[in-house]
Amino acid sequence: MHISEGILSGPVLVSGIALAAAGTAIGLRKLDVDRIPRAAILSAAFFAASLVHVPIGASSVHLILNGIVGLILGWGAFPVILVALALQAVLFQFGGITTLGVNTVIMAFPAVVSYYVFGPLVRRRPEIALPAAFACGAASVFLGAILVGLALTLTEKNFLKVSAIVAAAHIPVMIIEGIITAFCVAFLKKVQPEILPGNEIDRA
Amino acid sequence: MIQEPFVCGDSQIHRLDPRFRIVVVAAYAFVVALSDRFSVLFLGLAFSFVLIGISRLPLFEVAKRLLLVNGFVLFLWFVVPVTFPGTPLFHLGPLTATGEGLLVSARITIKSNAILLTFIAMIATSRVATLGAALSRMRVPEKIVLLLLMSYRYIFVMETEYHRLARSATVRGFRPSTSIHTYRTYAYLIGMLFVRAQARAERVYMAMLCRGFSGKFHSLQEFSFSRKDGFWAGCTTIALLGLGVLEWMD
Amino acid sequence: MDGLNPVIELEHIHFGYEAGARVLDDLTFSLHEGEKAGLIGYNGSGKTTLLHVIMGLLSPSKGTIRVLGRRIETRKDFREVRRTIGLVFQHADDQLFSPTVLEDVAFGPLNLGKTPKEARRVAMETLERLHLRGFENRITHKLSGGEKKLVSLATVLVMQPKALLLDEPTTGLDEEARVRIASLLAHLDISSIIVSHEYDFLAETAQKIYSMKGGRIEFDGDSGALHAHLHRHPAESHPHRYI
Repeated sequence: MHISEGILSGPVLVSGIALAAAGTAIGLRKLDVDRIPRAAILSAAFFAASLVHVPIGASSVHLILNGIVGLILGWGAFPVILVALALQAVLFQFGGITTLGVNTVIMAFPAVVSYYVFGPLVRRRPEIALPAAFACGAASVFLGAILVGLALTLTEKNFLKVSAIVAAAHIPVMIIEGIITAFCVAFLKKVQPEILPGNEIDRA
Repeated sequence: MIQEPFVCGDSQIHRLDPRFRIVVVAAYAFVVALSDRFSVLFLGLAFSFVLIGISRLPLFEVAKRLLLVNGFVLFLWFVVPVTFPGTPLFHLGPLTATGEGLLVSARITIKSNAILLTFIAMIATSRVATLGAALSRMRVPEKIVLLLLMSYRYIFVMETEYHRLARSATVRGFRPSTSIHTYRTYAYLIGMLFVRAQARAERVYMAMLCRGFSGKFHSLQEFSFSRKDGFWAGCTTIALLGLGVLEWMD
Repeated sequence: MDGLNPVIELEHIHFGYEAGARVLDDLTFSLHEGEKAGLIGYNGSGKTTLLHVIMGLLSPSKGTIRVLGRRIETRKDFREVRRTIGLVFQHADDQLFSPTVLEDVAFGPLNLGKTPKEARRVAMETLERLHLRGFENRITHKLSGGEKKLVSLATVLVMQPKALLLDEPTTGLDEEARVRIASLLAHLDISSIIVSHEYDFLAETAQKIYSMKGGRIEFDGDSGALHAHLHRHPAESHPHRYI
């Protein structure tokens, strides 16, 4: 879900930067300074977790986990994902600089949507919470793939087919992320329910 | 294990002001990313080679980093030429590759590699702590810089913690496969990582408070813009302007 | 105890971390059936490394490992080892990652191919055996140090290993928990290597005491012949003989 350098047009890149900046500003406003160590360590955990690769058929895929990050952090997902992506760029040269804004929006926007749409649902009892968590994981990847497609197509109309292929390639990932998010939420509900769905961060 | 193989060199580039390096890389990245003429792109690529040369980085390591990006680019080579409309060049079974599609793929390839190489030469040669301090001097909001530096600080810790948990699974016979048991195990490992992260964060925060933390970020690092930096600034500005002119002036 | 079948045999094992000195230097050691061996050594002497080498988490640069008489070399071999030998980590927090006790204990059996129903059954049996009945639905993360250690032991014992490796089992335990673990281990009828720097603990739980020095293992004596301490002693943590 990272778009690398040299593909997107100027206007798309700039829009990405503007939207990412706006989202980050909102996220930072809701993040008190004393909450920064927690956000930072969660960012590090998210970074480490995204290095995990999970088998699917004959190959394996890296986890994106933006759904669960959204549930835990709400708007805080923007600065946290921005920082994690920046570190991925610096440490692995994975991702891009001009595309940092766009990539942040691609991952963080679905995270925030998840927080609002699925956040209230995962607080409920397991019969509701777990399917909601599955939907959260799958939808976050889906929404991200849509945004990738949008960025590509807005750059160049002729990229529409490429966008479709990228989106289709993410369907298996959607399912796996859905499953893993569901189990992860089940885990957190039992072990540390206060970590969900991020209402400590959300203080205006 | 996450490694930083590029920071301990000692070249001209390593000694340049990191603030300058950040600005140059950003400017370069945008100029190259937005250019279309092959003359400009090849020149840009040449610049990136020159920078890598000056930085005296181990080429094998650099090449390894390029692999990841070029993996995705390779995927694009398979997909773009056959989906991009234009003058057909050749047929591959039911698929038709177009000239325009190939050119687009070629451009993307050159741009990705050029920007990546420049990034490696100029940014990956700096410690994250230094980059953070530089950003803070460039008036980037304090909260973000603090977030960046602390995240960096804990990445290695989290990675180790994850590996320890994963080891516990391995030692009890866990073998990843495409199964619900596998996905559940990974979900638990990740969930436990988040829980432990949260607990650690509370302890870290208390430790910071006990030593007077009030939200302000202080750095021991000092930056000074020297004559050499000025010389480099001049050269790179001219180079980038040159590229810009080549690209956008008829 | 010689003449009994060896369970674990290590011959001329060499291991060193990347740039550093050799941690295991031409190490030779065997554990026989029914034996409980205590292993003493100061921090950094390589005891944990040794346990990890046996489990295939680390690869020695030289030497041979045999488990139940079979040579262990490939990854596939080590997968078999993990069905046969159980490792109890020093920190229970590194061992437990499932939400509930029952799930953590059932994890091993599931990996061994048991059905969920079977896994649940043997897990409950093991908890029962360790006097942990009622703990099935407790949250592992929230247990006390002693409880975590017992559950940690359960997660390994449930796999019915032929040998047990314990890395500093008394770490983080209060007196009461330590007594409980010591009694448990003393009554367990499984060949074991118990790494500890607590001499008195080993006197209770192991029959033979070895020490780790210079990357090698030396036999010090039967714990019965070595005396127990009631007071502090200058040679305290180093095995020594009563003359």
